[in-house]
Order: sequence, then structure tokens, then C-alpha cells
Amino acid sequence: MAKLLTEDVVKQIEEAFAPMKEAVHIMFFGQKEGCDHCADTQRLLEEVVAISDKLSIEIYDLDDDADLAEKFNVDKAPGTVIAGKDGETVSDYGIRYAGIPSGHEFTSLIQDILLVAGRDSGLAQETRDFLKELTEPVLLQVFVTPT
Amino acid sequence: MVQAEMVEATEFQELSNKYNVSGVPQTTINDGAANITGAVPENNMLEEIKRITGK
Repeated sequence: MAKLLTEDVVKQIEEAFAPMKEAVHIMFFGQKEGCDHCADTQRLLEEVVAISDKLSIEIYDLDDDADLAEKFNVDKAPGTVIAGKDGETVSDYGIRYAGIPSGHEFTSLIQDILLVAGRDSGLAQETRDFLKELTEPVLLQVFVTPT
Repeated sequence: MVQAEMVEATEFQELSNKYNVSGVPQTTINDGAANITGAVPENNMLEEIKRITGK
């Protein structure tokens, strides 16, 4: 099967991934029926993960792995969690993708991977201090289109 | 405590309709407690979260 990522794109990502510090773990949740973009999203993520040995991926099913999906707050397929991995521990930074990260969103995906690899949100100290004190969950949903 | 979800609007039409997404990006906080169209600078995002959480 032809690759989704061209050689040129792979080369660019390789360069972007070169300074990656820590390991990044991707959890992909697909669904067997009624998911138009699950197969493509899984392939895309697998091709990205193959580019760096700092990256790993596990493939799950929203229904078969319902407990895990609930634990990670994933309720849509394709659903992707960009997490860190420290030894055997998966560190959740609350970053999720619902839908295929293609077009502009592919750039966001690569940037999110780099962000998690650096283990630094880049947020101002004031923001960090406030967020640390939060006692109730905050869900930010950013609606985007691939073009 | 904070989760950020990128939602592909055309793939999840029902959700886009629910929050009246007419332009992207749209940031929806806590089930429509805030809906912001366009880029959201960090400071504005912080203010919105403060307002919503009453802190």
C-alpha cells in the first residue's frame, strides 16, 4: 500500500523530531463501524511514529477498550491521545485529537508531539500558577477544519 | 484538570451544530460556557477560564 507521507515530508519531520528529548506515546482509539476516517488516521499515526524511536503507539478500540477510553476521556473515534512516556508510565498531558489530523492539523499534531517531548507547555508562570489551583475540570474543545 | 481536544468540525457535525460553529478555529469551553471564534491569546484564555470557574 502506498504511504500517506511522501519521502520529502518524512525527511522534514525527521529534522523536526531530531531535538526530541523525552519519549512520546500515542494512544489511538478506532471503532469498527461507522468510522470513515479511522483507518486513515491509524495509518497516518503509524507512519509518523515510525520516524522516531522516541515515539510509540498503541492501537485501541473505543468499544472493546471502553474502560481505557473512559479513563482517558476519549469518546470519539478516531480519537488520539498524545501522552508522554516515562519508563513504563504513561503521562497524560490532556492533549486529544478527535478526527483525522490532516492538512493544517497535521502541523499541529507534529507540534504537539514536540511539545510533549519537551515536557514544557511554554505557558507563562501566572497561567501555570492559576491552573495548578483549579479544582474542577476544564475542557477546551477547539473546532478546526483540515483546510 | 485541563483537557484540550482538537475536534475536526466536518467529521463531528452534530457537535459543531450544538455549539454553533460558524468559523474556525472555535474554542468551546466546558460544554458551551464560552465559545470563542478565532485565535485565543493565552491571556484571554486565562481570563475566560477564570470567569467560568469563578476564580
